Amino acid sequence: MSHKDTLLSRAGTSLCILLITGVVMTGSAFALTNEDCLGCHGDKSMSTQKDGKTISLYVDDETYKQTVHADNGCVSCHVEAEVAGDEHPFPMTPVNCESCHEKIGAIYEKSAHGIARAKGDKLAPFCKDCHSQHDILKPTNPRSTTYPLNIPYTCGRCHQEGSAMTTTHELNKHNITQNYSMSVHGKGLFESGLIVTAVCSSCHTSHNVQKASVPTSSVNRDNIINTCNQCHVGIVEKFKKSVHSPLVTKTDKKLPVCIDCHTDHSIAQVHDKDFRLIIAKQCGNCHEHNSETYLETYHGRASMLKGGERTAKCSDCHGSHSIMPAQDPSSKINTANIVKTCSQCHPNANLSFTTYLTHATHNDKDKYPYLFYTFWAMTGLLVGTFGFFGMHTILWVPRSLIERLKAMTKGH
Amino acid sequence: MSKTPTMYVERFSVFQRFIHLLIIISFLTLAVTGMALKFAMEGWAVQIADLFGGFAVLGALHRACAVITFFYFFLTMILLYTTWKESKKSLFGFIFDPEGLVPNLTDLKEMIGTLKWFFGGKRPYYGHWIYWEKFDFMAVFWGIAVIGSSGLALWFPVLFSKYFPGYWLNIATIIHSDEALLAAGFIFTIHFYNTHLRPEKFPLDPVIFVGSISVDELKHERPREYDLLVASGELDKLITRRAPTPWLQRMATVFGIFIVTTGSFLVVSIIITMFKYIQGAH
Repeated sequence: MSHKDTLLSRAGTSLCILLITGVVMTGSAFALTNEDCLGCHGDKSMSTQKDGKTISLYVDDETYKQTVHADNGCVSCHVEAEVAGDEHPFPMTPVNCESCHEKIGAIYEKSAHGIARAKGDKLAPFCKDCHSQHDILKPTNPRSTTYPLNIPYTCGRCHQEGSAMTTTHELNKHNITQNYSMSVHGKGLFESGLIVTAVCSSCHTSHNVQKASVPTSSVNRDNIINTCNQCHVGIVEKFKKSVHSPLVTKTDKKLPVCIDCHTDHSIAQVHDKDFRLIIAKQCGNCHEHNSETYLETYHGRASMLKGGERTAKCSDCHGSHSIMPAQDPSSKINTANIVKTCSQCHPNANLSFTTYLTHATHNDKDKYPYLFYTFWAMTGLLVGTFGFFGMHTILWVPRSLIERLKAMTKGH
Repeated sequence: MSKTPTMYVERFSVFQRFIHLLIIISFLTLAVTGMALKFAMEGWAVQIADLFGGFAVLGALHRACAVITFFYFFLTMILLYTTWKESKKSLFGFIFDPEGLVPNLTDLKEMIGTLKWFFGGKRPYYGHWIYWEKFDFMAVFWGIAVIGSSGLALWFPVLFSKYFPGYWLNIATIIHSDEALLAAGFIFTIHFYNTHLRPEKFPLDPVIFVGSISVDELKHERPREYDLLVASGELDKLITRRAPTPWLQRMATVFGIFIVTTGSFLVVSIIITMFKYIQGAH
């Protein structure tokens, strides 16, 4: 063999290697196109049996072309199929979105859903359970499962009484979807079609969903103010300056956060009857004595009857987010402001009027001696009067019976 | 049909009966609407508020009936004034008339006599007004003064606080509500029993609605009045054969029993509630 031949042979080998390498590198382009896959999966009748159920393996190409993944080939997700060529192994390993959506995948793995799935919980949702499979649309697309208007339905598939999830999991909160629909957020969404309103994921996050008991959860007590602050910036600003804020009050006691007064899923419009009627109860969770004594007064008594939402509630006098103790000059019940506060309902109120005890009780002798003694004087009067006349009546009964019988026998 | 026609004597004039009708309507409404607020935490009170359409309606009715109360108080004053003028007595003589409405020594004696009678003694020689009736009448002065004045303070709290400390409204609330409890409790038990529910009268004494009673009844129930009328010759002037019309008697029975029943229901609810609290307090 001549040197020339050797050179030629070498060049040929190099070309071959180059060609082969090129084929391998651009494999997908040459090997499996979406058309190849649709050759089988474009058939509507294509299906398989799993756990006794028929599962369709049909992929609607028209729909797929409108999805966010329209430019991706089937094999970019179904990687196993690529290597296989004509007949891919069956069943295939589930699609791993994380290969592209790496960051989200990492977050998901640490979420309540991800942890449950890692533990083998078959009902724990994976990407496709919320995002669907071949019809994933942008969250801004009204047809997307993650479009704000659809999120309550997407989450509600599991987080609702009667769902498959409830057969193996205990629900901490009940009637979440119904309560949400009736809430100020739910009404905003469903009645007004307000897509900037809070939906499930606004508070719970979408991928980092955690139980409220987890310290890092967005709905944990310690984080809830920041969560609400995503939208209610002005309110949170006021709140942070109020007596309820940990920035103002240094205490070991539990300070209230948004949900303690407003509740969570059933959060109502503050002017709503239903919300106004629970204010005294909500404040009473911490301010028990004040709530009880309020209920003894006219405002409290009337609030228990139909139409009672109209009478003064805690927040009407004390304020809500910027609430301050009475001795603070900015407090609504500070002497400087109280006449104005009472005047909201009682026009022409004066300072003397404001000495009315809105949390009066006749049971506190030291604090309210006048009320205590008035009550017991009145009680004495009642007991005395009823004692005497009650006795009078009881003694009269047999005598009156005898008289009646006498009259009857006389009559006949 | 008895052989001798029954004779009747007028006990209450049309004006007096009208006043009592106003009292019944306003007092019962005041009691129902007021007690619903006093016992707002009870189911029965909530039902009353629902039935009337809310606490605002209860409040409006309560105030309307307060106006009726002040009105019948005024009518009672007119009644007393005309009665005084007709009696041709001095003011002192009218007020302290032994047969009048102001309690006197005879009433004390009769009360002791009554207690003896309960245990088998002789029935006292009662006159036109018996002490328990006088007590009921005195409530017009005592009750309206106390409940009325405290009620006015609560009705116009801003005005009231211009002249008195605001916290007196809290005192007024206790007085108003407990005095009302006394009044309602008294009328719906003691007055109802003394006048209507005791076996001799059960279920109703319609005289306050029909106005007249038979002479036989008068003679039996109020022998002193009867004897005084005979002695003065007044009986012949007052006596009439005209019995209350059957229509009036039926109306009186239906209305009277309705009122007595309603009041009784309210007082039973209150008593059950009070027992619940007394038990709960221990």
